[in-house]
Amino acid sequence: MNYLFHILIIICIYSILALSLNLLVGYTGLLSLCQAAFYGIGAYASVLLMTAAGLSFPLAVLLAMVTTAIISLAISVPSLRLKGDYFVLASLGFQMISFAVLRNWVTVTNGPYGISGIPRPSLLGFEIDGLGSYFIFSGVIALVCALLIYLLTASPFGRVLKAIREDEIATMALGKSTFRFKITAFAIAAAFAAVAGSLFAGYMRFIDPTSFTLTESTFVLTIIIVGGAGNVAGPLLGTVLLIAFPEALRFLPMPDAVAGNVRQIIYGALIVLMLRYRPRGLWGEYEFE
Amino acid sequence: MTILELDNVTKSFDGVCAVNDVSLGFESGKITCLIGPNGAGKTTLFNLITGFLRPQNGTIRYRGQDITNLSPWRIAAIGIGRLFQDVHIFRRLSAIDNVLTAFKDQAAENALLAVLTPWRTIKAERAVHEQGQALLAAVGLTGMGHTLAEDLSYGQQKLLSLARLLALNADVLLLDEPTAGVSPARVKELLDLIRQLATSGKTIVVIEHNMNVVFELADWVFFLDQGQVALFGNATDVLGDPDVRATYLGKQEW
Repeated sequence: MNYLFHILIIICIYSILALSLNLLVGYTGLLSLCQAAFYGIGAYASVLLMTAAGLSFPLAVLLAMVTTAIISLAISVPSLRLKGDYFVLASLGFQMISFAVLRNWVTVTNGPYGISGIPRPSLLGFEIDGLGSYFIFSGVIALVCALLIYLLTASPFGRVLKAIREDEIATMALGKSTFRFKITAFAIAAAFAAVAGSLFAGYMRFIDPTSFTLTESTFVLTIIIVGGAGNVAGPLLGTVLLIAFPEALRFLPMPDAVAGNVRQIIYGALIVLMLRYRPRGLWGEYEFE
Repeated sequence: MTILELDNVTKSFDGVCAVNDVSLGFESGKITCLIGPNGAGKTTLFNLITGFLRPQNGTIRYRGQDITNLSPWRIAAIGIGRLFQDVHIFRRLSAIDNVLTAFKDQAAENALLAVLTPWRTIKAERAVHEQGQALLAAVGLTGMGHTLAEDLSYGQQKLLSLARLLALNADVLLLDEPTAGVSPARVKELLDLIRQLATSGKTIVVIEHNMNVVFELADWVFFLDQGQVALFGNATDVLGDPDVRATYLGKQEW
């Protein structure tokens, strides 16, 4: 039962990550490889706000969202003027830099040793303890995030994002500042990744930089490619499949060291196969080209 | 009244002069046609006016305001709309969404308002949907609202991009070959629509290769050649000019 709750909690956290990245990849047409950087920055920010500043979990998460959104401008403002492929490279660079900062800024992040003893989140004086209640807690938060992201994408704001994905020049010619829209989408995606990071930190009660690497960014991207982009259903399906599926591998007679590599091979193969044979993912609306 | 003016505008690409010291103006309520051989600089002129290209020299003024260095979206927002030669529709959006994107002043284009006041968005969307359907009907795409734009024929896509342009409600409309690819049966209605827009006070500039259309539409005609205005006048004068016939219209098209 505990094992099941663990998987469900991880699914909640990753569904927030996938939905937030989908805002960029599926709606705005921006292939970003630094979602895990914002996931990590959000996690560290909320942990530090709780431990060092003594804020409550909700307040710490809100501030972590704002912080992460502001930090996202540091990458989006200079690099969103770049065209397609160069933006991908810039996001990759930001991912690498963020990881290096988390690992080397020892006075703040405690470097490679990470931060342990993170308090459990508490709401209105009740500490969220036990796997069952943490699952309900993260489930509710994931639902709220999904609802907010749905409202965004179904609104005129989301329509402009899709228009940018389809034809940025035409969108500009209709009087929309595409640059401003892209920056906003990027900041929103970063803020939601910060929520996922905060949930992750509160659940694991320990964070270190290795949870927020490029591998993690590509994993979230894989979720979207497999599940499908450009709607809410695709990333959710992708999350459930890609979190649950590797767990099934555990029951195969394989040493742990091998299992990890096999997993990477399967992810790689999945991306190639999906892009080749089903570019819109299992349940997506947007076809990768 | 001259609403849009170009003064001594020059643009060259790698030493090749696409637009060479061009000065011209466009009047509101009138239809001005730009004609000339391929490479005469017609589309470059549109790109310069709409801010997608910057001239090396000269100024472009709209209602007296210098817009030479404004960004494309700002130029569109202050009232200069453009129909692209190669439709530039939003392929994987429905026809109606193509049109709705263009409406101005939609409160929920602000992400915060979209999240905080969804009920208002729903109400605003309903109103804007009705206007959008009306525009689709105006260009002859009644009932096609929910078709994906990429599933429309080329001619229909052209009409859709016109409906989208109308939703922008710009005062100046730059139309790059609006009738190309549109079925002959629809062309007459399209021309009527363009004429109506001019009557309602819009400034219309049309790049056109079909001389019948130019005759039908144009109040004024600029004949461009090698990046310069070679001739200006009404349709009869310009199209009747022996030089124009010789250089551009060697083969009789009408």
